[in-house]
Parts: sequence; structure tokens; C-alpha cells
Amino acid sequence: MAARRTPSQTVGPFFHEALRWKDGGNVTFAEAGRRIVLAGRVIDGAGEPVADAMIETWQLSPLGKTHAPAAGNERPHGFGRVETGEDGSFRIETSMPGGEAPCLEVALFARGLLKALRTRVYFAAEERARADPVLHAMAGSPRVRTLVAQPAGDDRYRWDVRLQGEGETVFFAV
Amino acid sequence: MNDMTRPDADDPPYLHPGYASTLARSPREPLLRIPAGTLDVPGPTVPQGFVRSGDNDLTIHGSSAPLGEKMVLTGRLLDAEGRPIRRSLIEIWQANAAGRYAHPGDRHEAPLDPNFTGMGRTFTDDEGRYRFVTVKPGAYPWKNHRFAWRPQHIHFSLLGNAPVQRLVTQMYFPGDPLLAIDPIWNSVPDEAARKRMVCGLALETGIEEVALGYVFDIVLGGARATPLGI
Repeated sequence: MAARRTPSQTVGPFFHEALRWKDGGNVTFAEAGRRIVLAGRVIDGAGEPVADAMIETWQLSPLGKTHAPAAGNERPHGFGRVETGEDGSFRIETSMPGGEAPCLEVALFARGLLKALRTRVYFAAEERARADPVLHAMAGSPRVRTLVAQPAGDDRYRWDVRLQGEGETVFFAV
Repeated sequence: MNDMTRPDADDPPYLHPGYASTLARSPREPLLRIPAGTLDVPGPTVPQGFVRSGDNDLTIHGSSAPLGEKMVLTGRLLDAEGRPIRRSLIEIWQANAAGRYAHPGDRHEAPLDPNFTGMGRTFTDDEGRYRFVTVKPGAYPWKNHRFAWRPQHIHFSLLGNAPVQRLVTQMYFPGDPLLAIDPIWNSVPDEAARKRMVCGLALETGIEEVALGYVFDIVLGGARATPLGI
């Protein structure tokens, strides 16, 4: 029997202790892979840092697979959860996802967000991201570049999230 | 063109001016409609050992019982087809009975309770059921507008089975007069949808002479990813 969904509400400002997972920003996998670091900031429409956001990531394994369950009391493979600092910054260490257009699925929660924002960050050239069928409806838009992490040397990538205004990140309707 | 920032009337829009924090944090560009099913794929599987015995009882972690009205909160986690979401992680957090969070950012001068941190975790069982033991949270003032008070509520985080099912919400209590003035509650446009965030009083699900019983069922979007036959 069909059921009607429970509405979303904001995560509010007091989630940190309850939702903080030990080493949540160090994403684990069953397979070996190239380790990378994704760092950036979350900025609001006034240019201010969003100091009370939480970012979750989900991705394919380094071999492009979905994940087998982790054992024991570990965190789930392939899943990251980090909070932003006072300057809106976040940092996630993970393995390069497999697949033709490697990317992380991102869900962003914060005070002032009544519903999570959903987006993606690609570790691929902008042209490759544009060819991804998920972005088909806006493949010709300059805004696609808001979804592409910029290489910052030594397996490091930079990706800022702008919630509103100039350079606003592309968010998905889910 | 439809209002792409409000893809579903069951959810609040991103911009709800009555809730001041949405003003600078809500996107203004149209949302990108991605192919159906993109996020209706298997999500994280949290190992059962992640939750420890006692994590679903918020009243047993101090040197004595916390202050407040003890309550048992039970319910079911379901998908959009009404099927149980099994062995799925639920995380909750809440203010204490005086309306104060055990969080460094909470400046409300109501007292902390040394016997209550207000955080819990559990997994749903094979029928999608969950159970928490806690105390009823207090209302508290906030700075959104003059004489702004949040109604009593418990925050819920649900992982579901698929990324499309990921939900953070708040559970409210029946008959709370503060609901009418709460912009977060009122951000959901549809009245029937708002009422789905209110638990029900169900005395016999409590503990006789010990704890009130409340029931709160939660329905997540997406159904394709619900595993069958497990």
C-alpha cells in the first residue's frame, strides 16, 4: 500500500555530537585504490562561510563497484560524513572512484537548509563531466564547471560549494 | 515552468522567508532534474556492530536518571510502497527536558542535565520497527523573530537503503501550541504533510507507571531500492 512521505526538516545547528562519526572523513573501501583528498569551503549567498554544515559522500569503489558490507563495528565502505569548520571548510580523504566519469554523490545539510542539497563532484575533465548522462539537461551550460573538482597537486583536489548567487553550485532536484 | 526549487509539495521549499536562515542559504538557480532512479541505487550498509547495546536508551548513561517526563518512542520505517525498511540506521538528537542541548553552541540559559546528552542510535528490525527510551524535550527560545520558541521536537536522521531515501527531519508532539508559530514546521506547505511529522500518544506502548508511550512512523521516498525477501 502506498504511503505518503515524511517531510524533510532542517538539521539545525545542534547536530554535531549526535551525527559525528569517528573518522567519518576518511572513507574506507574493501579494495585498494589511489587515495585522494577533497577539500573546500561552503559559502552562502552573502559570501559568508557556512560553519554549521554537514557533508555526506557516496561513491563507487575504486574498481567501479557497489560496496560489500564492512565487517564488525566499522563504518560502511564508500560513505563519508564530515562537518564544516568555523571557516566553512571541509576535508574528505577517499579513494578515486571507478567508472567513466569518477564522481562523488554529495548531500549537504545545514541550519537554514530545510531539505538536504544534492549534487555531485567530478574528478574528471570538464568535457567528460558534460558528457555524463546525469548532466544531460545542462550539458551546454557554463555552470557545469561548479561540479568539477580542481586538481591541487599530490592527489589533492579543491571544490567549493556556493549555496547561492554568483557561481552558485548546480544542485539536483531529487 | 514549474517551481523547480520546490519539486514536491510534501517537502518544504529551500527558500522560506519566515525562517530567516534560509535567506542566504537557499539556492536561487533552478534545480537540475536528474534522470529518474539516479539515486535509487543501493546505499551505505552500516555494520550491525556500529550500534552498541543501550544506544537506543537515552536515560541510562548518567549516574542517575535524567530529569523530565520519561517516554518510550516506537514506530516503523517504511518506503513509499509501505514496505518495511529493515536493519537501517536511525540517529536522533534532542534538547533536555529544560529545552537545552548538550552542545557548545547552545547559549540558552536553561540548565544542562549532567545525566542527559540527548543522543541515540538504533537499527530498525526485520519489520522496520524501532524503539527509543528518552525524556520529552523542552521547548526553547531562538532568535529567528521576537518571542520565537521552537515547539518540542526530536531530530531524526534516517539513512534508508538508498541515497534517494536519505532524510533528516524533526518529530513534533500532538497538541503543541507552539507549532502554529513555528516557521520551520510551517515551511511544509501541505497541512496533511505537516501532520505526518507529529507523533501520536499511545499509552500502552509506554511502560506502566514509568514512561509515556508515543508512536511515530516514518516514510522515506523511493521504493525500487528496498531489498525484497530479506
